Amino acid sequence: MSVSGSLAAVIKEQLQRALDRGCSFADVRYYEEDSTQSLVLYDGNLEGNYRRFERGIGVRVLKNGAIGFAATADLERIPDCFDRALANAEAAAVLLGFPKDMGYAQPVHGTYKPPFQKDPFTIPLPEILNLLNTIDRQLNEKPVEHRMVRFHFQKRHIYYFNTEGSEIERWVMNPFANMTVMARDKENRTQRRSYDLESDGTGSRGFEWVENPGAFAVHTDRIKSELSQLLSAETLPPGRRDVILLPGQGHLQVHETIGHPLELDRILGYELSFAGGSHVKPQDIGTLRYGSDKLNAVVMVVENSPGTFGYDDEGTPQHQYYLIKNGILVNVLCARIDLSEANAKAGKKVVEKSGASARAAGFYKTPIDRMTNVCVEWGSDGTLEDIVKATENGVILDMPVSWSIGSNREHFHFGCEIAWEVKDGRRTRVYKNPTYQGHTLEFYNSLDMVGDRSTWRLVQVPNCGKGEPNQIMEVGHGVPVMRFRNVLTGEGR
Amino acid sequence: MLEPKLRDLIVQARNYARHKGTNAEFSLHRERSSLIRLGNSAIALSTSEELTRLDISVMQGRRVGAISLTANLTSLDQLKTALHQAEENCRNALPKDYDPIFGVVEEPIADTTGYDPALENLSPQAKADLCARVIKTVKPKGNYDFSGSWSTGSTEIYYTTTANDHEAYRRLTDGRLVIVLKEQAKKWELSVTRTQKKANEFDADGIIQELETLLPIYEQNPGFHPQIGPQKVLFGAGAIADLLGLCLWGGFIGRFYEEGRAFTSKNKFGDKIFSEHITIVDDPANQLVFQMPFDFIGKRRKLFKLVDKGVFAGMPYDSQTAAKYKKQPTGHDLENWDLVMATGTGPADLKPALQLAGNALYIPHLHYTHLPDPTRGIFTGSSRFNALLIKDGKFVAPIFSSRITDAIPNLFNQVIAVSSQAVAENVSSTYERRTPSAYAVPSWLLCDRVNISDVADSF
Repeated sequence: MSVSGSLAAVIKEQLQRALDRGCSFADVRYYEEDSTQSLVLYDGNLEGNYRRFERGIGVRVLKNGAIGFAATADLERIPDCFDRALANAEAAAVLLGFPKDMGYAQPVHGTYKPPFQKDPFTIPLPEILNLLNTIDRQLNEKPVEHRMVRFHFQKRHIYYFNTEGSEIERWVMNPFANMTVMARDKENRTQRRSYDLESDGTGSRGFEWVENPGAFAVHTDRIKSELSQLLSAETLPPGRRDVILLPGQGHLQVHETIGHPLELDRILGYELSFAGGSHVKPQDIGTLRYGSDKLNAVVMVVENSPGTFGYDDEGTPQHQYYLIKNGILVNVLCARIDLSEANAKAGKKVVEKSGASARAAGFYKTPIDRMTNVCVEWGSDGTLEDIVKATENGVILDMPVSWSIGSNREHFHFGCEIAWEVKDGRRTRVYKNPTYQGHTLEFYNSLDMVGDRSTWRLVQVPNCGKGEPNQIMEVGHGVPVMRFRNVLTGEGR
Repeated sequence: MLEPKLRDLIVQARNYARHKGTNAEFSLHRERSSLIRLGNSAIALSTSEELTRLDISVMQGRRVGAISLTANLTSLDQLKTALHQAEENCRNALPKDYDPIFGVVEEPIADTTGYDPALENLSPQAKADLCARVIKTVKPKGNYDFSGSWSTGSTEIYYTTTANDHEAYRRLTDGRLVIVLKEQAKKWELSVTRTQKKANEFDADGIIQELETLLPIYEQNPGFHPQIGPQKVLFGAGAIADLLGLCLWGGFIGRFYEEGRAFTSKNKFGDKIFSEHITIVDDPANQLVFQMPFDFIGKRRKLFKLVDKGVFAGMPYDSQTAAKYKKQPTGHDLENWDLVMATGTGPADLKPALQLAGNALYIPHLHYTHLPDPTRGIFTGSSRFNALLIKDGKFVAPIFSSRITDAIPNLFNQVIAVSSQAVAENVSSTYERRTPSAYAVPSWLLCDRVNISDVADSF
């Protein structure tokens, strides 16, 4: 641990004071550095060029079964921050429901550093802008009317301490990159194609990934070509057909209709007033048929993902576990704080241990249940072309344009950038403005083909929103190509 | 005004930048926030945050660079370091192909009219007491569980630039309470929301009464599956605010309009785009909204008409878009607009509105809206809390979660009647910074032939 000795001493002294004042648990996250760099080149103009720096401390205490949280950027006022957290917990205990309980965990001492070679924050700005500009120039040709290239880098250096004696030091390194091209079609409607930096789950997370031409820049010609095809395409006619989701769309389907409904705080009703609840009940864990036998959803520890961070914000080490195995719901995304309540409500033990899902978006946010790497295992139904060959009447869909999901995640409506019609085992044409909608369990039970490892991509999501006060979190989703049968597609009006 | 020590630091940093010949904008955001979160009829979380953020933007010719700092601001050296980093960002930036507009505070502004110390300091205990009263009164009457949240706090915004010595300052308080009642077996959910600018603007009795008015309809009637296809819909204030937001994003963002990406792009000012019932303005003087007096290029915000009795009246431009497309900025370099949808001539109360509707769906809230095709104004979203079937002018049953997929221009051209009562709907974003924002909307809006595209088996 390289945090200054005097600061560590103050934190430990205050943790002890929290115990002395009757807390059963307390923890502290000190963000020595939380840096962001955002660069946006829009039609060749640098419309976004900023850096953000944050430093501060977040304190969480558990007293009389209630949680209190407080945060400050003023490191001279750490005792005051503890006092506010304690006062918040004491106020919360006035209206107490199921008493919160952290259980017991062995103290954890550890460090985590994601793999990276080049720290983007040490790369001279002209060098980064040169890369942005090069990609922008590659996008700037007819029929493209508007184009955007974005880099967004995050670096965090976080220390964690708790009253159990855990001390963890970890770093976060997140490079995000996106390119988008737009033009108006023959009906004067804007069409777009885009690409987000993604991987096969391996590799490193420094600037070397972004600047690797084979990882990002290589996609410029493809998205321009596909945009051209969209401009002369017809709108997807409404009707029921098979849907083949590429990872660019499949990851959001998984995010919204597997990830969110399996967050334990949603299941227990703690998100009802804002994000919504879940169609899943605690007693469903272990029994609910969520999808067909082909569906295996796993929380993975992936080498190259924003959802890999070593230890969560309660100090639990990340580990791999199934959420859905052969279509049956077997576990949920959970933290230590809600395990006993979930088991009590289910009337049996449905969750054994924390899924290392307690995550906070900054020092001034409290940890809540978040996705990490909610993935779908690759299957044995071959490549994308094998799945296409096996499809009589369907569409291949890629990249979200819009998403709207029922409050309990029981139904959904997605709009995508592009569709390729599949007829009798062949791609026949491109359609624009494709949409599809369905009901979650019915949809996943119609999953009948799952692509092999060659189709599996780890897609980065930089902006998952949840919680009050609201938090934006970075997560990863590894998904293969998936085929769903007889889905309602297109708009009837 | 801003705490003198902090203000002096920023003014010194501004003068230092000016002395160096640097064009710099300084924007301070300071919040004191607290929130209680309800879950399972108890307080699940109680938080408080005290945060100070300073944004510095530097412009030299066609180059712009910025930095944002969330930290305890204590010394001029700290601010100078941040300024130097913004200068470096600017120096290394790519030049734009247009002349960006530099911020100038047009006139000194010091607005604390929206500040209530009692709301800023509203204790978690006081919040807990009110929530406990609601829960203890209503919970025993059924198989109910309560969740929700109550966020209150103060926000200070201070803006100055090297262009002159003027300063723009604003301090206000705001709060939003949401209480959700869930029937644990049948799984339906009711919601009551309250927006506040001051403490003591509402009490538990009103919330209890609102819940108890709805409960018999839910308790005594099974859920109803609306038919897919066109339906008459009576929208409540929450849904109208959502529709207004979608209308803004789909049709009234200057850049999207100029680039042909807005549903208004095919129109010119003076075109009739909506029913004559629809008038939409951005009005920082409206008493129901949070009344942001200036924007972040220092413009004094004024009434701005977007739609006047269905006629396309104006397009808001932020400074970037205005500079790019050679327009004038309109006071919209900010997130929190003060949108107002004008009231109509319909009855204020809901009861006569139901009679006017006859047979219809009542959808007072929309959940998770999005725009699949902004160029057509096509949006989608589903009903959620308090959604009911209206039959022969009366509420008769709750409806299952119903998805609307339609176009904003269709919807706003099929208006039958509009309430004569205006209400505030809090649309504050809680992402990152505390940003109090509210729309003033009619308490109801009756529309014909709204497209229901899907209906779930749950509420």
